[in-house]
Amino acid sequence: MTAAAIPYTPPLKEIRFVLDHLAGMAEVAALPGFEDASPDMVDSILGEAAKIAENILAPLNRIGDVQGANLGADGIARTAEGWGPAWQALVEGGWNGLPFDPTRGGMGLPNLLNTAVQEMWHSANMAFALCPMLTQGAVNAVQLYGSDALKDIYLPKMISGEWTGTMNITEPQAGSDLAATRSRAVPNGDHYLVGGQKIFITYGDHDLTENIVHLVLARLPDAPPGVKGISLFVVPKFLVNPDGSLGARNQVKCVSLEHKLGIHGSPTAVLSFGDEGGATGFLVGEPNRGLEYMFTMMNHARLNVAMQGLSIAERAYQQALAYARDRVQGKPLGWTEGQSKGIVNHPDVRRLLMGMKARIEAMRGILYTAAAAVDVAHHHADEAARGRAALLVDLLTPIAKGWCTETGQQLASDGVQVHGGMGFIEETGAAQHLRDARITTIYEGTTAIQANDLINRKILRDGGATANGLLDEIAALGGELSGHADEALRVTGAELVAAVHEAKQAVAWVLATAKQDPRLPAAASVTLLELMGVVAGGWQLARAAKVAVERLAEGDGDTAFLSAKPLTARFYATHVLPKAAALRATVVNGSASVMALSEEQLFGAA
Amino acid sequence: MKVLVPVKRVVDYNVKVRVKADGSGVETANVKMSMNPFDEIAVEEAVRLKEAGTATEIVVVSVGPTQAQETLRTALAMGADRAILVQTDVTTEPLAVAKVLKALVEKEAPGLVILGKQAIDDDCNQTGQMLAALLGWGQGTFASKVVAADGKVAVTREIDGGLETVELKLPAVVTADLRLNEPRYASLPNIMKAKKKPLETVTPDALGVDVTPRLKTLKVTEPAKRQAGIKVPDVATLVDKLKSEARVI
Amino acid sequence: MPILILADHDNATLKPATAHAVSAAAKLGSDIHLLVAGRNAAPVAEQAAKLAGVAKVLLADDAAYEHALAEPVAALLVSIASGYSHVLAAATSVGKNVLPRVAALLDVAMISDITAVVSADTFERPIYAGNAIATVQSSDPVKVVTVRTTAFEAAAAANSAPVESVAAVADPALSSFVSAELSKSERPELTAARIVISGGRGMQSGDNFHLLEVIADKLGAAVGASRAAVDAGFVPNDYQVGQTGKIVAPELYVAVGISGAIQHLAGMKDSKVIVAINKDEEAPIFQVADYGLVADLFKALPELQQAV
Repeated sequence: MTAAAIPYTPPLKEIRFVLDHLAGMAEVAALPGFEDASPDMVDSILGEAAKIAENILAPLNRIGDVQGANLGADGIARTAEGWGPAWQALVEGGWNGLPFDPTRGGMGLPNLLNTAVQEMWHSANMAFALCPMLTQGAVNAVQLYGSDALKDIYLPKMISGEWTGTMNITEPQAGSDLAATRSRAVPNGDHYLVGGQKIFITYGDHDLTENIVHLVLARLPDAPPGVKGISLFVVPKFLVNPDGSLGARNQVKCVSLEHKLGIHGSPTAVLSFGDEGGATGFLVGEPNRGLEYMFTMMNHARLNVAMQGLSIAERAYQQALAYARDRVQGKPLGWTEGQSKGIVNHPDVRRLLMGMKARIEAMRGILYTAAAAVDVAHHHADEAARGRAALLVDLLTPIAKGWCTETGQQLASDGVQVHGGMGFIEETGAAQHLRDARITTIYEGTTAIQANDLINRKILRDGGATANGLLDEIAALGGELSGHADEALRVTGAELVAAVHEAKQAVAWVLATAKQDPRLPAAASVTLLELMGVVAGGWQLARAAKVAVERLAEGDGDTAFLSAKPLTARFYATHVLPKAAALRATVVNGSASVMALSEEQLFGAA
Repeated sequence: MKVLVPVKRVVDYNVKVRVKADGSGVETANVKMSMNPFDEIAVEEAVRLKEAGTATEIVVVSVGPTQAQETLRTALAMGADRAILVQTDVTTEPLAVAKVLKALVEKEAPGLVILGKQAIDDDCNQTGQMLAALLGWGQGTFASKVVAADGKVAVTREIDGGLETVELKLPAVVTADLRLNEPRYASLPNIMKAKKKPLETVTPDALGVDVTPRLKTLKVTEPAKRQAGIKVPDVATLVDKLKSEARVI
Repeated sequence: MPILILADHDNATLKPATAHAVSAAAKLGSDIHLLVAGRNAAPVAEQAAKLAGVAKVLLADDAAYEHALAEPVAALLVSIASGYSHVLAAATSVGKNVLPRVAALLDVAMISDITAVVSADTFERPIYAGNAIATVQSSDPVKVVTVRTTAFEAAAAANSAPVESVAAVADPALSSFVSAELSKSERPELTAARIVISGGRGMQSGDNFHLLEVIADKLGAAVGASRAAVDAGFVPNDYQVGQTGKIVAPELYVAVGISGAIQHLAGMKDSKVIVAINKDEEAPIFQVADYGLVADLFKALPELQQAV
């Protein structure tokens, strides 16, 4: 083949295994409304999505990195070569509508299936895949909270992808602290006049579609201060006439595009609203509830960004693996005739690759499990089942976002390390993944914001009930496996039990300490999040290993694939799970030392 | 005009096949399978003929195991109207497939049969020519352009050293080469619709065709590994080696 | 029983591929008859008669055979096949087009693209794009076989076999020739070429690439370059072979003055035969080369041009 781009092969077999055996695709397909998601249909959809990822999106990844997005003299952001036709392919294929309401042009398929498709697209080209991801988030917000009139005008074209969507949250003075939001919206007949400046707006302007639908947080004139006075507005780039055709250009101006460390292909815009009196905007839902609505989108987006951690790690892993097989440097220790001489047989290179493989499988297990729980939480006939699933989603969201993005970044770095000096050379392509991965721990809430959410809303609020409930479930699985005949399962089970024990101590410490001094758990929060992530990853690998061993015992002939599962779990159990003890020690013993130096000491040492 | 498009389920283009240790063949268990890429091109061409109003109905056929239904569904998602699976677990040879197809052609009476020039598993490049022979039809093999009109089809063929255009009386058999077109990606709505399109299953027996292989595969082996490289002392030796040993010039 | 080979030609010249098919047939150990079906193709028959090992040339001269259309040529072959144990052709676009039709008309299986003759009924042929080699045996009364030309040497021109005319048979008149567009001797595209010759920084200038071009034209090869040569401005960007350039896998790749950075190797390592010419004995390119020549390229290239 002539493609110069670094190839990406969607890991369909791994995806299918996790869908079927960890996330419960069959149970999800049995939910009301998901009858179309039969196993053969899932195969067909994943197969075609994989082709698009591999053949259309992946070859554009490097082009996007090199050319970037550029603001033209006409004030329109231009995407890289080939990106327009690629977007068109997604629109023509109906891919944007996969999880949405069939009455508005969607396909009505499960979020779980959408998650698998998004994984491949993010692996293929993360900077590109942000556009469908944000558009889907915007569709969710309008669908859930918009008036029928807004839905009728905007949803069909957003679902088809003819128009894209954005999230306008951040302002120069309002980053993680949205109480500082200043953008204004003044009532003006049937609409509002919106004014203000928004920054870091992903796909805030571009040339992929004829219109862009901005979802903008702004304050009404009489709004109370703080986060309880923020409303959500739809502000289209072009106004829409009653017949659906495009009207006048709205007062939304792309002032500049940011120059970034990574995701160069994704235009990150500074948008100025209402420079000449006010951009026409339409209120979404009720006044002053914008942040609540935005959080619905945000939680969706957080799981998607968590997915980016997995996706970029998978891409980096595939590249590192290919390089390690081809690159020959010296004779590997203990090399025998017939073995490849590639550096893949050097023990430390293998350690890096196994670390990548095991963590990638752990992340996929967590994310697909959470995605299935989202479906159950929305579609299960039984209210109690919906409630249980929602609690699991709420708990897993910050853990997934925090741990998977931090891990994704680490693995992208490990991918560079496997390449040695060549990894530091841009031409090799490994460095791009590391640069692209770097944003994931920052946007949609930094790791610290996730950790804060985990401690305050997910642990302290219910006295640790949900977290301990999950940990007990994991411990039970560990206990079961620690008595298994299979040695790898035994080791995995025992290490899992030990790690859960550490996590429970850390959770207990948080519950006890929060009352004394809220700064102590805050200082420990990211470490606690990592601890929970490490345990959750072990949980998923243990589940996978158990299923694989059972299937082998039942005579499933795919021995090479299945027998790798317990061995991968054991690697994780012996290389990653033991970190739980150290993390617990840091949580319990280390928090006080975080703030121990006075500010003067911190600055005055010189 | 009805168009018949035979498609084959093969080991995916990207899979690096492994020869079985016992030399009985290559490992196909738990390996990704796809539609033969040349057959995808054939399906695409038929769909384009239908879009252009030349073809009225596209019937896709596969001779193979139950799982070949997936391949047929893929073709239906691309735009074929209905499918026929000729179910057999025998590893069929081109002659047997051509005979099965002949029986179906007699039943379906298509005006044109388009198929891939070659399957990427056995690399035979025979079925289309054999089918044309058995039907007594003209053949336009290795097509890079197909224009059907007025009871005739003009086929531009990829031949050694360039292109050649021949005109065939319809009905005829055309085999697709790589440059004929670029197959489309099936859209999500069409993938879902494909499930509801008719798929009929028959057996070779019911068609009166014996698909027992004629050839005996004695063994399958790995190709010779690349010889360790050598240094040659001069240009004369190099050219001699390239001519007599490597036989590449 | 003798063996029948269908000759590939353009009515004026016998294609070299046929000589390779003759030496494959020679391994079967029977008399070889070569069928020349064409129009005004007597010169081809004369050339065919010179091929070593050919016992007899059959010339079917008729307008129906002028363009080697599959339908009339297959009909002709079938009419005479019963006297033969094997019907062979080189696996050219003509052989691949005609022989399966012949096999089906004879109701026999066909064996495509053989790379070795094990015995009169057993052959080796590549499957899965050459990633496996199958040994197949035929029990059919007539073996219909195409021959991969690169696997067999060309039979020498050292013979003078008799030429006999054979009568044309009725043309099924299913197809007609419209036109042909044969490519000029312009160099093939990099990714499609059977042979690629690439130059690196060692070429020292863009002008020096003509040393490669003259050889490429003699061999029908494409010309490529390493990134170093492109970066140095010797040749345009679309010459670049490598991870960020074109990925090629020709039958023969000749790397001249290329050190063999891993980025370059990624673009050509799947080539069947790799030749490296470099004056630096330690250049990494030699690690992947089947044939390495440590030499000054400015001396070696003119010699190579003479020798090929």
